[in-house]
Amino acid sequence: MNSSRNEGCTLTGALSVTTAITDGITIIHGPDGCAHHNSSLLHALQVDSDRLFAPDILSTSLSETEVIFGGEKALEETIRQAAVCEPGVLCVLTSCVSAAIGDDVQAVCRDFSHLPIVVVPTEGFLGGGFSQGVEHALIALSDLGETGEQNGRVTLIGEKNLEYEVEANYLEISRLLSLLGISIDLRFVRNIPAAAVRNLGSASLNILRDPSLIRVGNALESHFGTPFVPAFPVGLEGTRVFLETVGRILGIDSKWAVSAEQKNQNRLIESFHNIRGMVLSSGTNTHPIPSLFEELQQIFDLSFDSRGKTVPIPDPLPVGTSGLSRLLHRWRRICRE
Amino acid sequence: MKQIALYGKGGIGKSTTSANISAALSDMGLDILQIGCDPKRDSTRMLMKGRLIPTVMDQVRERGDRAVMLEDVVFTGYGGIRCVEAGGPEPGVGCAGRGIIATFQILERLGALHGDVVVYDVLGDVVCGGFAMPMREGYAQEIYLVTSGELMSLYAANNICKAIKRLSGRSRGICRLGGVIGNGKSLDREEELIACFAERIGSNLTGFIPRSQVVQMAELNKKTVIEYAPESSQATVYRKLAGTILENTRLDIPEPLEMEELESLAYEFISE
Repeated sequence: MNSSRNEGCTLTGALSVTTAITDGITIIHGPDGCAHHNSSLLHALQVDSDRLFAPDILSTSLSETEVIFGGEKALEETIRQAAVCEPGVLCVLTSCVSAAIGDDVQAVCRDFSHLPIVVVPTEGFLGGGFSQGVEHALIALSDLGETGEQNGRVTLIGEKNLEYEVEANYLEISRLLSLLGISIDLRFVRNIPAAAVRNLGSASLNILRDPSLIRVGNALESHFGTPFVPAFPVGLEGTRVFLETVGRILGIDSKWAVSAEQKNQNRLIESFHNIRGMVLSSGTNTHPIPSLFEELQQIFDLSFDSRGKTVPIPDPLPVGTSGLSRLLHRWRRICRE
Repeated sequence: MKQIALYGKGGIGKSTTSANISAALSDMGLDILQIGCDPKRDSTRMLMKGRLIPTVMDQVRERGDRAVMLEDVVFTGYGGIRCVEAGGPEPGVGCAGRGIIATFQILERLGALHGDVVVYDVLGDVVCGGFAMPMREGYAQEIYLVTSGELMSLYAANNICKAIKRLSGRSRGICRLGGVIGNGKSLDREEELIACFAERIGSNLTGFIPRSQVVQMAELNKKTVIEYAPESSQATVYRKLAGTILENTRLDIPEPLEMEELESLAYEFISE
């Protein structure tokens, strides 16, 4: 297939964000297939992660008639239909079809100024793929944020709602921040009601899930003045640097936190002493071995060679010390088999 | 069944020419179907005593495409000519090109595409795939370009040659250029210029219609020239043109000109 996992369709990326608003409704202004395929995909992925998932997605059901005569009326009707449910936010996502025929989605939505509507441009044929869909959805939803006094707390930006370890990663970031005495105020956007987004402008720091969200970080910084850290931490040293960075930005002395985490990491290294010297292989994975593994190679004297035991190289990489611990558990189990 | 399509710049006189060709062919005792493929829907007005007939897209909008019947969209006008207007969305919304494609599918389903000659009168320029529909396999085999001697009109005609050339290159593409019809704007050496243009693109001048007051008078009386002033010299011009088209067997794959060639060609006929 000539498309990677982060490419695909902008619409899917945006849906992974908008469907994570618990009291929101997402309207896909396109043919039924756009809604069906994406709902099926999201549903399958969530079930795979043992999560119940019944997203509130409505389709404007564009057919040939709307293509010829314009789909704006169909959108108006679907917005009215959705408004009856009094959603916290109504996300209107465009599609290839509505864009190709030139429906003025913004203008239609402006006519419903009494409703909390957010328009997300998601016409896949313009390119950009999944990641750009996530980005567009986050930037569009940030309109719901209000400027406020900095509350000394942190907002997580763009957690990967479809990844298996999304909750484990959240807990790891919470744990690390608690070492600095900081708490998370808002998960933008993961299982929150629309009203919670109002606090977006009050955070003292935004932590982006990964650097692909840099434009979101920049947009929020220029709009609300919130500084940001560009990624969740990866690797043992990376985790300590993360604590230092967060402390520096928030004016908190991170010495104690870094030293506590160092002790935690030493215990981890000790508990995995029995993987020392193992020969591993990344199998058919032809991507370059990330720098995280150079660190592991050094600490545990591991070597990567095609004759070694094939172990998974996860993408995205494990977050923090706990993520690494889970990865090492998997590797050790595989090597003992 | 002969199927012809007239293409050319907007406002150049495609509908007037189409209607008069249809009227002249019908006077010869032929069964004619004229299809207006322009959302402006005024192709067949002069054949229908000035009436703007309901369009195929109007009917689709009102009752859905499956419910549209033959009698809802085919109207009989001057000399028994069957008239159809594709119509389209309101200006500025939707996709008129898709409307043309849908119209053709409906006309096929209703079995409306029959007769001795089918005349497709297509809007100004081939702006998207939908407006190239009449050129596709199974529809018009002969394309006639309507142009005056004005540069922008020649430019539009030249552009349409690109579409003809492209479609004729397909494995089963049968669409060819039948010729160029000059619709005069009373410019100096206009017929000569259009004939020269036709030759340069690898075709020929099918006929030249001089500018005439009779055309305006006929339109004000909601008739074709053939119906309004059958004895006029203008009617003779249209009859001759219709005869030439009927007899025409020359079909070319045109070679569009570059903009510079087109400009220098137009310049040749002005500078002297």
